Amino acid sequence: MIALIGLVLGVVAGLVIEPTVPAELQPYLPIAVVAALDALFGGLRAYLDGIFDERVFLTSFLSNVVVAALVVFLGDQLGVGSQMTTAVIVVLGIRIFSNAASIRRHLFKA
Amino acid sequence: MNRRHAQATSRAADASMTLINEVYRRPLDPGYQEAAARRADGLAPRRTARGAVALLVLAVALGGFAATAAVALRRPAPEALQARTLLENEIRERTATADELRRGNAALSAEIARLQQRAASTDDPELFAQLQRDAVAAGVVPVTGPGVRVVLTDGVPDANAAADDASSYVLDVDLQVLVNGLWAAGAEAVAVNGERITSTTAIRSAGAAVLVDSTALSSPYTVEAIGDAVAMQTALARTSAGQHLASLSQYGIDVAMSSQRTLDLPGRGQIALRSARVAGADETTDDADPAPEEHDVLGSSPRDVAGSSRPDQEEAR
Repeated sequence: MIALIGLVLGVVAGLVIEPTVPAELQPYLPIAVVAALDALFGGLRAYLDGIFDERVFLTSFLSNVVVAALVVFLGDQLGVGSQMTTAVIVVLGIRIFSNAASIRRHLFKA
Repeated sequence: MNRRHAQATSRAADASMTLINEVYRRPLDPGYQEAAARRADGLAPRRTARGAVALLVLAVALGGFAATAAVALRRPAPEALQARTLLENEIRERTATADELRRGNAALSAEIARLQQRAASTDDPELFAQLQRDAVAAGVVPVTGPGVRVVLTDGVPDANAAADDASSYVLDVDLQVLVNGLWAAGAEAVAVNGERITSTTAIRSAGAAVLVDSTALSSPYTVEAIGDAVAMQTALARTSAGQHLASLSQYGIDVAMSSQRTLDLPGRGQIALRSARVAGADETTDDADPAPEEHDVLGSSPRDVAGSSRPDQEEAR
């Protein structure tokens, strides 16, 4: 519950304040958003599975975002940034899809 | 970890697919399962107030970050826009600085002329008269007098012409030929859009713009020449420059020539010569006959003006 309230508060604050993102971080925003989506779907599925845990949810959220951005940053430094982005997107995309499928089974029993 | 490893080795058939299997079969973070198991065993640590606050702070930060990232991504290419604005501002700033410097230059030139006048007119009237003539010939000081005004206006490009077809635009070579023709017809001072043509002036093109001494000009181009208006127009019509002007109309370029009772041409200001030295510097003051020298200065101008970067253009016309 705390995590949910906190997230909603944070989203509202972000929408209201609209802080500017530093230009150096701009390239990592899409990947971070996808990582956040993955964490959200994982959390929702865990909730439906009845094993949701706020601490795990928030740490996985944070580590997802940080690791995804870090991997892409590393790829940029090595000159394979776009390939790294593709790799991260593919992995996270598959996870989002299968989590979403699991959520669908929970909700519609189909 | 051990259990997973055992599973992978037992399924040797799809051993090469372990990565895909890992991603696809276990999409849920194993942490949830472990936390649930700990809770079931009663091993889960008690939640403290400090832990709850930390969770809340982390949640707010993550939510804020996600919202910020989403909002930032929805903005249309912010850095391209920023770069454009930055460049535009820089161009505007530099142009303003250049204008300011030019104004300062003009003011200083006027002051130099005034001081020279005061110094020379009292000490040596003859030298002063020569100085005046040379300054007029060199295009340093503003001059006024009767003359001819020629206005060249870009034509409207054909609707079916290629986008980069420049034939309906006034080219640098057109202005070169016209200025050259005016000098040959006896012009004593020439200016294009208020840029005085001097012995060091170049007329050239850079992209779509025509540059006169690094000042970008655009259509309509007003070429003003001081001299005997009637004689100049007649002489101009006889030369090849007149034919060139006449041929421009077939490209849709409008050429309007009119004689003016008074034309005010600005001065170029002091021209800084970095390499050129006066040959035999002591001869300059006792020049007995200034007239031929004046003629020399005028005669040298068309040569400098006409050295075109695109000589083939003239043939093409």
